[in-house]
Amino acid sequence: MRRSVFTGGLLAALGMVAGMAGGSGSCTASAQQKPATADVKIDNFSFGPAELTVPVGTIVTWTNRDDIPHTVVSTDDPKVFKSKVLDTDEKFSFAFSKAGTYSYFCSIHPKMTGKVVVQ
Amino acid sequence: MHPFDIREALLAKHAQHVVLIHFPIALFLAGVAFDFLAYWTKRQSLAAAAYFNFLGAALSTIPVVITGILAWQWQLEGQKLKGILLQHLVLGSVSSVLLWLTWTIHEWTRRRQNGWLPAYRLPIEAVGAAVVALTGHLGGFLSGVNGPG
Repeated sequence: MRRSVFTGGLLAALGMVAGMAGGSGSCTASAQQKPATADVKIDNFSFGPAELTVPVGTIVTWTNRDDIPHTVVSTDDPKVFKSKVLDTDEKFSFAFSKAGTYSYFCSIHPKMTGKVVVQ
Repeated sequence: MHPFDIREALLAKHAQHVVLIHFPIALFLAGVAFDFLAYWTKRQSLAAAAYFNFLGAALSTIPVVITGILAWQWQLEGQKLKGILLQHLVLGSVSSVLLWLTWTIHEWTRRRQNGWLPAYRLPIEAVGAAVVALTGHLGGFLSGVNGPG
């Protein structure tokens, strides 16, 4: 009787350890969840959408669908983000880790402007 | 930017190149037209008109080249160019060389007593006009004149 109680207790303890291990595993999995993403299309000399609202941590990707080169440059000083010249179908991504309003423009065509609102 | 704000217009970091480029284009193409007419009609006055157009075109390439390089350095922070931007830079440089070459041929001829303009200048001018047109076409694409609004 005492032996079976001991065995049962040992199994229960192993089960708890296994459960905790599983629990910590699920915590790790949730920490590795992919961050939110959002896309901005550059086409016909404009950013689309021109204003984008995203949660903190979102990775925004701009894709140049235009026939001519464009850039994506923050208007803040110092610049928060700045792409190289993007030819057709080239992309630029930036992860917004802080809340705020980020205005940007194309430095080749300054009339092209956009805004990312991070909440 | 307000269109009549002189300070903002003059200090716009790359707007001047887009404005100034029209001077060498117009002067050179007018000079080529005058020179071809001078060749066919044998009129010295037309050749003289061509010479002064080419002189103005060559001189006006100086601020154009400077503002073009400044636009590259300021707006794109001197990053390596490719695609249409690189093609525009190369063709623009070739155009400037051809403009100066054309004016130099006319200048050499004027300095010689009773000098006749050599016929080989005409194909050089024709090639120059074609390269200038192609450079301007790419520049128009880059500046966004084909875009909305």
